[in-house]
Amino acid sequence: MKLLPYGPRAVLAELDSLAEVMATATAWRAAGLPGAIEIVPAARTVLVVHDGTLDTARLVAAEPGVALFDAQSVTIDVDYDGSDLVTVAKASGLSVDAVVELHSGAVYTVAFCGFMPGFAYLVGLPPALHLPRRVTPRTRVPACSVAIAAEFAGVYPRESPGGWHLLGTTDAVLWNDDATPPALLTPGTTVRFRQR
Amino acid sequence: MIRVVSWGIAGSVVDSGRTGRAWLGQSRGGAVDVASLALANRLVGNSEARAGLESSGGLVLAFDEPTMVVLTGAVAEVSVADGHPVGWGSPVVLPAGASLRIGRLLDGARTYVAVRGGVTRTGETLAIGADPQTPAATHPAARTPLPSTVRLWPGPRLEWAAAATWAQLTTSEFTVTATSRVGVRLSGPVLRRTTLTELPSEGMVEGALQLPPDGHPIIMLADHPTTGGYPVIAVVDPADLPSVAQAAAGANLRFTR
Repeated sequence: MKLLPYGPRAVLAELDSLAEVMATATAWRAAGLPGAIEIVPAARTVLVVHDGTLDTARLVAAEPGVALFDAQSVTIDVDYDGSDLVTVAKASGLSVDAVVELHSGAVYTVAFCGFMPGFAYLVGLPPALHLPRRVTPRTRVPACSVAIAAEFAGVYPRESPGGWHLLGTTDAVLWNDDATPPALLTPGTTVRFRQR
Repeated sequence: MIRVVSWGIAGSVVDSGRTGRAWLGQSRGGAVDVASLALANRLVGNSEARAGLESSGGLVLAFDEPTMVVLTGAVAEVSVADGHPVGWGSPVVLPAGASLRIGRLLDGARTYVAVRGGVTRTGETLAIGADPQTPAATHPAARTPLPSTVRLWPGPRLEWAAAATWAQLTTSEFTVTATSRVGVRLSGPVLRRTTLTELPSEGMVEGALQLPPDGHPIIMLADHPTTGGYPVIAVVDPADLPSVAQAAAGANLRFTR
């Protein structure tokens, strides 16, 4: 692990793998690091925003794979009616049914959130469905779109521009400002998609 | 009660925002220039985090009851119908029936209106909160111009930029080409990236200075995405964020270590 400078009130920890990021961010959150205000995992890094009193000696990487997560699990019902379903099938050399089967048969874990409130990056997507994101992003992706890009699966909490491939839609509520936590999919949550 | 006759440019109800949700994708939000909102709240006797209004001009409010208001942030052309004139930093009680218009902003990007008791928005009306029971300021606030030189710290991906970048950043003048609640876009000498590969998304702070491939930096403000894929090559000192928050399009900024 390498600590990179981020001004007087933050530090960026760079780790070797996404699995190590997930374990480390979870461990730091559970430890209740004194002085930490935000702990933000991403693809290869964990950002810690603090009040100036954080002891960076306490920032030690955790072993990946250690079961630190709450055993929280969410199933999301999906209508597989996405406008990229056929394109994804063609690009991955599969039938549409096989794409649906692969996507809904996998077990995912929320690695981190970002992009917009409640947008979770899910790992566990079968490698046959790993495709680069669209060359030209859509200016408008409908809310509740179930999508994939590269090694990730996700669901758009609200309408936004986006470059992911759209497989379907759900009516799950991804973000509720008044709930605790406000996001349905928090880092560490186990997620399954179920065809409706 | 207050009626919003016009929201104008980027008019909204804002409080001081919230922390602790960046891991779920939500940044602080709230007032872009949080120091100005806090000052406005103190002047009318509120706690600093109470909700007030943020405007980049054109906001028009009509008052149905006597209401104490104050203006901070950018100095604006202000007009009051059927009430006393309202100056910068000086709490005034407007009578029922008065209306207040924030016109053109003269020296910044965002003007703040605080109301004694704070406001809660329901559609186009604002309910006024309970009286804070703390006296309002009896003297107008002193107005100190914000420095146009902003202190910078090296960011986590400074080495993604050419070796001369830090010197360019700290010796050149930059002009604001656009500002929004998300961030400020700057134009100046083109800053060259030496690494052009895609950076896996990583967490960002308010004040992070990103370098997109076009070489024109962007500084993140209150509604910034919590993660981003452009390298962050520098970070604004938190104490100097108000200068960035108030830099309107066309304003010049300089940076120093």
